[in-house]
Amino acid sequence: MTETNRLRNFCIVAHIDHGKSTLADRILELTHAVAARDMRDQYLDRMDLERERGITIKAQAVRLTYQLDDTYVLNLIDTPGHVDFTYEVSRSLAACEGAVLLVDAAQGIEAQTLANFHLARDAGLAIIPALNKIDLPQADPEETAREVGELVGWDPKDVLRISAKTGQDVPALLQKVIELVPAPQGRREDPLRALVFDSTFDAYRGVVAYVRVKDGVLPSRAKIHLMAANADSEAEECGVFAPEATPVPELGPGEVGYLVTGMKDVHLAKVGDTVTIAGKHRAREPLPGYREPKPMVWSGLYPAEGGDYTALRDALDKLKLNDAALQYEPETSKALGFGFRCGFLGLLHMDIVKERLEREFGLELIATAPNVEFHVIRGNEVIVVHNPSEMPAPGTYDHVEEPVVLATIVTPSTYLGAVLELCQSRRGELIDITYLSPERAEVHYRLPLAEIIFDFFDQLKSKTRGYASLDYEPVGYERADLVRVDILLHGEPVDAFSSVVHRDKAAQYGRQLVERLRELIPRQLFDVAIQAAIGSRVVARETIKAKRKDVLAKCYGGDITRKRKLLEQQKKGKARLRRVGRVDVPQEAFIAALRVDQRAGQKAGQRTGGKP
Amino acid sequence: MTAGLYVHVPFCLTRCGYCDFNAYAGLGHLASRYVDALEAEAGLWADAWRGERFGSVFLGGGTPTTLDADELARLLARLRERFDLEPGAEVTIEANPDTVDEEKLAALREAGYTRLSMGAQSFDQRVLDALERVHGPASVHRAFAAARAAGHTDVNLDLIYGANGETLASWRRTLEETIALRPEHVSAYALTIEPATPLGRKVQAGLVPGPEPDLQADMFDLACELLGEAGYGHYEVSNWAFPGFECRHNLGYWRKQPYLGLGAGAHSYRDGRRWWNVRPPAEYLDVVEHGQRPVGGEERLTPEDERLEDVFLKLRILEGVPVASVDRDVASGFLQQGLLRRRDGHLVPTERGMLLLNELVLALAG
Repeated sequence: MTETNRLRNFCIVAHIDHGKSTLADRILELTHAVAARDMRDQYLDRMDLERERGITIKAQAVRLTYQLDDTYVLNLIDTPGHVDFTYEVSRSLAACEGAVLLVDAAQGIEAQTLANFHLARDAGLAIIPALNKIDLPQADPEETAREVGELVGWDPKDVLRISAKTGQDVPALLQKVIELVPAPQGRREDPLRALVFDSTFDAYRGVVAYVRVKDGVLPSRAKIHLMAANADSEAEECGVFAPEATPVPELGPGEVGYLVTGMKDVHLAKVGDTVTIAGKHRAREPLPGYREPKPMVWSGLYPAEGGDYTALRDALDKLKLNDAALQYEPETSKALGFGFRCGFLGLLHMDIVKERLEREFGLELIATAPNVEFHVIRGNEVIVVHNPSEMPAPGTYDHVEEPVVLATIVTPSTYLGAVLELCQSRRGELIDITYLSPERAEVHYRLPLAEIIFDFFDQLKSKTRGYASLDYEPVGYERADLVRVDILLHGEPVDAFSSVVHRDKAAQYGRQLVERLRELIPRQLFDVAIQAAIGSRVVARETIKAKRKDVLAKCYGGDITRKRKLLEQQKKGKARLRRVGRVDVPQEAFIAALRVDQRAGQKAGQRTGGKP
Repeated sequence: MTAGLYVHVPFCLTRCGYCDFNAYAGLGHLASRYVDALEAEAGLWADAWRGERFGSVFLGGGTPTTLDADELARLLARLRERFDLEPGAEVTIEANPDTVDEEKLAALREAGYTRLSMGAQSFDQRVLDALERVHGPASVHRAFAAARAAGHTDVNLDLIYGANGETLASWRRTLEETIALRPEHVSAYALTIEPATPLGRKVQAGLVPGPEPDLQADMFDLACELLGEAGYGHYEVSNWAFPGFECRHNLGYWRKQPYLGLGAGAHSYRDGRRWWNVRPPAEYLDVVEHGQRPVGGEERLTPEDERLEDVFLKLRILEGVPVASVDRDVASGFLQQGLLRRRDGHLVPTERGMLLLNELVLALAG
């Protein structure tokens, strides 16, 4: 165990693509934590998905030693960087005493810079601003230093200017970390309180919690108690990441490491929980800030092949072992058969889960358009609706409430008009506009979450030529005039197509979706009417005219084989269609609602860009 | 059950933009070597096919009439030596209007070719241009008259409908001019865009619009109407004939009678096995000249293949499938929709059903 005065726990926070992972790589090299031959880019991002997308999904911690006037032990905690994981970020921050606020000197402050800064400041961390990428020709260190200085209250000339890519002035940054980040407090004699800032499930060792000891001592083998989960367990080992897992006899106050909990269920060691010693040495109060993971976005996941339901269930069960935020409940759709209604932290989380199910478990899935959780108020009763088709009929309830977020958008002032227009069109309520500089504005809006989960970010990017950035935090539920729009195919309502939309937009939404479905659904042997209805009122209608010709014209020179293969191909194509009532519907149609607002060719869904 | 003999001649004067058959322009210098090779290949198969009675021969292409009348006469004579051709066998040769005159057609008739299949395609110059055919409507009239003068009494005209720019009215004129000539047989094919053709590439690049399926459906309906009124029987999706002039050779394919294909890329079928020759003429010549059978590939039909083919082929020629072989609900749906009708305990496509044959086949074979 290390004396606390030579310990520094810090993290790096930054907007996406501002160079966080590259800086972490340089620090690992500088502290000789990783042998040169083992070094690879984005060293701390262990999942394939993280590396491909250039994002961090799971938190990581790494213990480093650095020689200055004395030998210091640095714990670098790598946090996820996406708005879906704001709570997880806040817990990682709570495990630190300081944060490096890294800002791209060419891009300047972005929305996630602001969001992360506020989170770090609220957590009481020492904040060390640093400009990155100063080797780039388009870098503007003077202006960025001014913006950053103003934000964190530093003289711009004291703001460090580094290049994580070349390593320029990274040692100076580490020196500042040692000087400015306070050594952890906490006394050995106090009852143990250790913060869980992430946990994973290992097939051999069970649940491994990533912990930061706040008070007391965590011995290697002990009977532990998880305070929020109210669960006891026999811990089997604790250790540090140096950077590979290395067992230690104990973790003292201020130290960061891992704990093999002896538990088999990751839901008993959730992010934010407090580990203490079971029995009479138990701490009286848990560490503050624990919250149950709360899904924000819901979507139906169905196997593309009907028979894969059991495989999907097994895969979800396995994923959940490692992802305490994922929720799911079985549901049945008339159109899609047996599947699950799944709750996610956000759209990125949803994308990740879907991609992992497909990639790691070989499943082919149909996902319905994502929706938020609605609260239907009937007298004193609150009906929680996760699936739009379960929205009660109008007139059977008092009103509906939907989740609202406070959004922060940073944009060049030239695009301010376009940004305001976009937010207004999404039922936004302007809170304020402030200027980071004459050229760059920071805009705050209240927006219904439902209006931003589909394509808001893509629209924002396209209207600002990629310059604007977005962050948001949930601020509760508000009453809204929402109605359910149903889609009828050949006279039959199709539950998987139902959505809940604001009344003012419902008719237009219905028209657009009907139009889109007309393009996506192939012609059948009979005319197919597609209707959008609010209650019993039809607001839009299109007809797919019956197909008249589908025949191989010529059968030449006895080449029957080729004709048969063409037919077999056609048969395979048909197998990929879903029979809904009498109508064959392609799988793309079920996410058509996602793209209703978009012109063809734009990619929907993903809120974050990854690194190329 | 008689067998069929197909002979492929891969030479053309020019390549048409829509055509994806195994055919080449500019290989005329290989012609006499190729005829020798066909005769040699016939020799390689003769023993294996001894005992089969051949009811038809079909020289297709390409353009078989790019070969001299003498070569064509000699070729047919050699085939008769190698294989057991029925007396009165149907012997068809495909002809391009620009490659025949009365003298050549008379020589072919003299040599034993009993049936002439002429690629007219259209009587509308704009349609011929869109198809990149080099002949004009006048050549068709001239060649047809020459065929009659040479004594041909069994003539087919091939038509293609739905090319870019063709209207229902111009298709009607093509049908009317065709009917006025009173050929014994008419094949009318909906233009299909094959990706690996010059026209296919133009359509993919958006330079030329692809055929409109609904307009082609109207054109099919018009063909059914006008040819029917003129006394032609509609005996296969794309084929009409005066009674007794149905093409025996093509019916053989559809009835799963055995057939032997000679020449580059030619297909054969016998006893549940399909095989095909190598496609490039140069490779074909090389293999045959080394005394080998030029087989490039084969397949044995699985029971599912057989089932799909049976339904596909029997529906095409309106023999239909036995009512009891089809799921009752499936059948009654199509009967109600007017896509199938009952005839002698069989389900047979209606004219509307013929246009949706793929749908019917997939549902009925499923």
